[in-house]
Amino acid sequence: MSYEELQYLSMSYGTFPPLGSIAAVRPVFLIVMGVFLMVIAWRLVKNTSGWSAWTMISGALLLGFGYSIMLPLYEAGLIDRLSSHGDQSTAMGWHAVKIFTMNGGWLLFGIGLAIYANVFASPSPTPRRTTAIPPASPHEFTT
Amino acid sequence: MNLLLEVALKNGLVFDLMGVIGLGLIGIAAVRLSQKYQSWGGSMMAFGAIALIIARIYFILAPHVVTKEFLAAIGPVGTSLTIALPSLLLAFGLAGIVWGLWGHERWLNEETR
Repeated sequence: MSYEELQYLSMSYGTFPPLGSIAAVRPVFLIVMGVFLMVIAWRLVKNTSGWSAWTMISGALLLGFGYSIMLPLYEAGLIDRLSSHGDQSTAMGWHAVKIFTMNGGWLLFGIGLAIYANVFASPSPTPRRTTAIPPASPHEFTT
Repeated sequence: MNLLLEVALKNGLVFDLMGVIGLGLIGIAAVRLSQKYQSWGGSMMAFGAIALIIARIYFILAPHVVTKEFLAAIGPVGTSLTIALPSLLLAFGLAGIVWGLWGHERWLNEETR
């Protein structure tokens, strides 16, 4: 990050200089978190199967893409924000991708984790009463 | 572009709702996990989800609540808090969820080893 950018950051954040350094570290933090999220979700569902695993993995992939690729690109200024004076349709498209990725990712990940944690099952499942069938007596049909 | 799609995208309310519902599900699932397995990862995940939900609700409400009069009323320290606190909440929330997930996964592996 160049000196001008730092100066711009400190100007835009007013009298709060430490935040400039946080803003510099933020993309790295986001990348690390996104990659970690994908890896840990994969390790968590490695041994399970079914809906929970697929939903969680797809949510984690969406979030990983969003956090480790898209948000750093936004912070680096390579993607125009919707409020900037750039190409409006491109900015709109990226904005659509962003809000879909982040929110859909959290939704899918949440649903997967909820199924994984048995949230949707009844909290105290009553064991289904199994009626023991009495053994048919040998005299039943003979009389 | 389709008008309905444009409104849905610009306001983003539907998508924000999706995100908040997902985070709420994560919170509930995390509490359930920590109850079921007695692992600290679940509580950490729940804290992270709550922090992310608070930050998201702030971002939804901020354009309506935070006006110039409001900023003038809370003074310079409050103004810098409105800038610093949401990003801190976002960072800690994400870190909490990832950390909690990692803790839970490691705990599961130790249990089954």
